[in-house]
Amino acid sequence: MGLNRRRFLRNSIAALGSAGICSAFGNLRALAAAASHTTFPAGDFKALVCIFLNGGNDSFNSVVPFSASQYADYRSSRSVLIANGGVAFDQATIQANALLPLAVQPGLPGGPPSDGGSYGFHPALAEMRQLFNTGKVAIVGNVGTLLHPITQAEYQAGTVAVPPQLFSHSDQSIYWQSSRPDDANANGWGGRMADRLYTGNTGSVPLCISLAENNLFQRGDIVSSYGMSPEGVEKLSYLGDGPESWVIPPNEDGFAAYNALLTADSQEHVFERSFANSTRDSIANYEVIDAALSTAPALNTVFPDTRMGSQLKMAARLIQVRAALGMSRQIFYVSQGAYDTHNNQVGDQQWNFSQLSQALKAFYDATVELGVASSVTTFTASDFGRSLGVNVDGTDHGWGGHHFVMGGAVRGQRFYGAMPSLRYDNNPDETGFGQIIPTTSVDQYAATMAAWFGLSATEIADIFPSLSEFNQANLRFLG
Amino acid sequence: MQSRVAYCLMLFVLGLPACAVAQGLSHRPDAGMRSGFEAADVGPYKDADAARFLTQATFGPTFYDIAHLRAVGYRNWLNEQFAAPVATQVPYLDWVEGLPPVPDGNNTVTDSTRMEIWSINSVGTPDPSRGMVIPTDQLRQRMAFALSEIFVVSSKNGTLTYEPWALASYYDMLAANAFGNFRDLLEDVTLHPAMGIYLTHLANQKANSALNIRPDENYAREVLQLFSIGLVQLNTDGSPVLVGGQPVPTYNQATVTGFAAVFTGWNWNNTGCGPTTYVCCDENNYSNCGRYDHNIPSWKLPMQPVEAFHDSTSNKQLLDYPGVDLPGGVLPAGGNATAELNLALDNIFEHPNVGPFIARRLIQRLVTSNPSAAYIQRVANAFNNNGSGVRGDLKAVLRAILLDSEARYGPWQYPSIFGKLREPLLKNTQLWRAMEARTETGRVETLSPYPGIEDWYGQGPLRSPSVFNFFQPDYRQSGEISSLALYSPEFQILTDSNIVSTNNRLFSLSFCFYSEGESCWTNGHGAVMKLNTLRDASLANSNPGALLDRYSLLLMSGQMSPFMRQTLLNRLNALDDEPNRPLSRQRIQHALYLILNSPEYSIQK
Repeated sequence: MGLNRRRFLRNSIAALGSAGICSAFGNLRALAAAASHTTFPAGDFKALVCIFLNGGNDSFNSVVPFSASQYADYRSSRSVLIANGGVAFDQATIQANALLPLAVQPGLPGGPPSDGGSYGFHPALAEMRQLFNTGKVAIVGNVGTLLHPITQAEYQAGTVAVPPQLFSHSDQSIYWQSSRPDDANANGWGGRMADRLYTGNTGSVPLCISLAENNLFQRGDIVSSYGMSPEGVEKLSYLGDGPESWVIPPNEDGFAAYNALLTADSQEHVFERSFANSTRDSIANYEVIDAALSTAPALNTVFPDTRMGSQLKMAARLIQVRAALGMSRQIFYVSQGAYDTHNNQVGDQQWNFSQLSQALKAFYDATVELGVASSVTTFTASDFGRSLGVNVDGTDHGWGGHHFVMGGAVRGQRFYGAMPSLRYDNNPDETGFGQIIPTTSVDQYAATMAAWFGLSATEIADIFPSLSEFNQANLRFLG
Repeated sequence: MQSRVAYCLMLFVLGLPACAVAQGLSHRPDAGMRSGFEAADVGPYKDADAARFLTQATFGPTFYDIAHLRAVGYRNWLNEQFAAPVATQVPYLDWVEGLPPVPDGNNTVTDSTRMEIWSINSVGTPDPSRGMVIPTDQLRQRMAFALSEIFVVSSKNGTLTYEPWALASYYDMLAANAFGNFRDLLEDVTLHPAMGIYLTHLANQKANSALNIRPDENYAREVLQLFSIGLVQLNTDGSPVLVGGQPVPTYNQATVTGFAAVFTGWNWNNTGCGPTTYVCCDENNYSNCGRYDHNIPSWKLPMQPVEAFHDSTSNKQLLDYPGVDLPGGVLPAGGNATAELNLALDNIFEHPNVGPFIARRLIQRLVTSNPSAAYIQRVANAFNNNGSGVRGDLKAVLRAILLDSEARYGPWQYPSIFGKLREPLLKNTQLWRAMEARTETGRVETLSPYPGIEDWYGQGPLRSPSVFNFFQPDYRQSGEISSLALYSPEFQILTDSNIVSTNNRLFSLSFCFYSEGESCWTNGHGAVMKLNTLRDASLANSNPGALLDRYSLLLMSGQMSPFMRQTLLNRLNALDDEPNRPLSRQRIQHALYLILNSPEYSIQK
C-alpha cells in the first residue's frame, strides 16, 4: 500500500470530522487489512530486537583502533589516558581485546575495517567480542541520521540539507526511531513495518512489544505496541486475578460495572475513548500473554540478573511462546539508560557495557536453545555518537557512531560501512565542531533489516522515502 | 455502539443488570451548566464550578476549599494563595535526621523521606516536623510540581539518587519562585547544584586546547530547548513562525557553543568549606572539591564561580532576535563568570519565544492539553507584560491561565477535546484530599511502596527518567488523538503495564486503608494514609445515590454522566453487608475505585 493510499485514508478521516471518527477507525482497519499481508506459512518466523542505548553511546570508545596510525589519531582527540583521569584507552588494552575480522569475500560486502586499521572492543564487551570473532556479530561503522549523503564542505557551507536539531537528544532519538528526519511528526520505522505485516500474524497481540518505555520506533499508522514489564504481566486486582484480589469478596457485579464504563466507543470525549481503548487493549493482551507464558517450560539459558538481562529474557520467552501467541513476526524494543556520559564516562560505560554484553550473550544463547538463532536479529540504536573532543572525563553530543548487529542470520565477523578518522585537527570526517559526519544513513541500516524481515522493495521504498538518496539500499550484513 | 448493545445483551442474559439499566442514559455530564454569561473571573456560583477551578489550581478540592472559594471568589482566593506561608521540604529532612534511631524513631533520611514531605505539603496533611501544622499553600505547591515537570532534575541520576537534601532544596527553590519572576527562576535553576550535577555544568571549564577539552554543551542546549524558548521561532500565540512554509530555528550549533562557554567556571558554593569539612573550590581544586556529605550547604546553595576556569577571552554567540540587546546576539569577550551569566540569561529571558513557550507548558500542566492559540496568546501577553510593564511575572501568568474564559468554560466550548489525562500522582493526591486521608503519626510512607511509586505510576516527584520529563508536550497518543492532530502529553505514561500498575495502586488506596482499620499487608504501620470512610458512612448506608453525587463533586467537579452514575449505583446497590465488611464501607470503596479508574474521571475537563 502506497503513500497515496495512506494519504487518502488520512484525508477521509479528516473529512468525517470528529463526530464520525469512531466509524472512520473501523474503516481504516478494514481497508488496511484488505491490502495487507496474508498469514505467514508455518515455520516462517522472524524477530527483530532493537536495543536502544539511551543518551548517545560513545561508540568511539566502544570500537577503538590500536593500529599505530589510527591509534595516534584517536589519541589526538582523546589525549588523556584513563589512568590520568581522561577517557582514552592505552593501546595495549585495546590490542588485548582485538577484533579478528574475516577477509573480504568475493561478491560480498563487509570485511576488515575500511581504513585498513586494526580495532578492538572496549574490555567490558568481552562476550560481544567472542560473538564477533565467531561470526555472530557485525559492526556497521559510522551510522547516523541523514537526509542525503553529505561531505564536510557541504555541511559547513550549508548547501546540503541535514536533519533538524542535530546533537539534540530528543530530536535525534526521534529521527533514529522514525528514520524520517524530513518529518518531525512521522511515526517509527518498526511500526511502519508492522503496519504492513501485522495481518500475517494470526494472534491478537500487537506485533510490536516493548519491554522498556513507550517508544516512537514501534508506533505505526495502524498498529500500536504492547508495553509490558520485563518481569511479566500483572493483572487487575479488581477483576479477580490480580495481586490483591483477595482483599475483596467475589466481585462479578464489579466486573460488569467496570467493563460497562470501558465499553468501546461509548464515551463522549476523544480522550476518554482513547483511555478506554488503551485500558481494554491492555487487559485483552495481558490475558493472552499470561496464558501463553504460563504454559511454557523454563529456559535453560541463564540470564544475568540485571534490567537488561530481564528485558532480553522476556523477549526470549515471548519468542518461545510465539506459536501460542499466533505470532510469525515480532519486533521487540529494549533499552538501557545512562549513555549520556558528559562526565564519569569511564565508570558509566564500563557498567553499561558489562551488563549489555552479558545480556546479549545470554539472549543469543537462548535463541540457539530455542532453535531460532537464524530467525532473530538484534541491533543497536542510540541518540547519536559522541564528540571527538572531551568534557574532561566525558564526551559531548555527536552525530555518527558505530553500531552492532547480532544473530545467526548476520554475516558477522565483519565491518560494514566506513570507519571515520578520529583525528582532532584537519579531520575531513567531522563537522568542524568535533562531531563525526555519518557515512551510512539510518535508512540504509534499517532497510537492510526490513528486507531481511520480509518487506518487499516497494514497501521498503514506502517506509524509507529517503533511501533512494543513498547508493546502497541494502548493506547486506544479513544473509 | 453495536458492541455495547451486544455486551449489554450478554449481561442481561446472565442476569446482570448494570448495563441494561444504564443503557439509555447520556454519557455526557448534565447540560444546563454555565457557559460564559459572566466575566470568567467572577464567581464561582456553584460548588461544581469551584471544584473544577480547585482541580486545576490545587492537588484536589475539599469541602472546606469549595466553601471557602465560593465565599471569597476566584480573585481573592488567588491573592490569599499568593500570600500563604510557604511550605518547604529541607527542614523536614533535617527534623527526621534529628529523631532517635530505630526502634524509638526512624532517623534515616533517603529519597523516601523526600516523598513524605512532598506528600505532606501537596496533600496538605499535618506536618509532624512543625507541630502538626497543616500546609495551606496549595497553589504554590501545585505550581512547584508543574515547574518540576518542566525544569527537570531527577533522582534517577546516579549521583542525585543519594542526595535527598539536594533534591528537596531544588524543589523548595521552585516553590519559592512559583509566584516570582521567570528571570529569577531561570537563574536559580541554572545555579542550583542539583541542576549543575544533573546537566553537568557544575565544574564545567573553559576550552583547553592542550587537552582537547571543550566546554560541556549539555546545559547550554537544554536551557534553550526545554526551559525557555524551544527549537523554533514562535508567534505570541504559540504557533511556529513560518518562512517559505518552514519553521525557523531559534539557534544553531554556534549558539550552543556560545552558551556553553558562558556556563564555564561554576562550581560548588564554598560556604562551610575548610580543612575540617570539605575541600574549597578554587583555582587549584576545581575537579575534586565541594560536596562529600549529604546535608551540607554546598548542596543547597547556588553555585559560585572560579574565574580561572571561566572563558573570559572569547566572543560568545548568543541568541539573535529582533530587538536583542547585544548587537547581533554576540556577547563580547572580557566579562567575568557572573557578569556573563547575567547577560546570557537576560538574552534568553528577553527572547520573544519565552512567553508563548512557558504559557503553553503551564496551561498543559494545569488546564488542558490543547489550548487554543488565542488562549496561549492571552497568557503569553500576561507573561510579556503583567499590566504594570513587568515581564515574566508568574503571578500574572497564573491569573491569566486560571481566570481565562477557556479555563473556566472550556468543557462547554470544546466538549469533546477540552482537558487532559489526569496524572496518576494527581489522582492519588486528589483521592487523599477528597477523603481527608491521614496517617496516625503524621509521617507518610504510602508514597514509597515497593517498588518505587514511579514504577507504579510512571512518574514520581523529581524522579523523571530523563530531562525530557515523564511525558513531553508534543506527545500524541496513537489512534484517534493522533489522527485528529491533538496533543496528549500524559498519555505517554499510559503504557500497558502502567495502566495495570496504576489501577492496582489505586485499588490498594481505595480498599486497603480506611478510618476503622486496614485490610492489606503493609510495613508502614502508623505512617499509612487512611481514607476517612467514617465521614461518609451514614450517607453510604442511607442514600448511595447521594454518595455518588458527593464523589462526583469532589472528584469529577460534578461532571459524572447519568450513564456512569446509574452504572455505579447499580453496583453499590448489589453489595451486601458482611462480617467485618460493613455495607457502608464497601459502597464507599467500590465507588471510589470505579470512579478513579473510569474513562470519565481520568480525563480532567
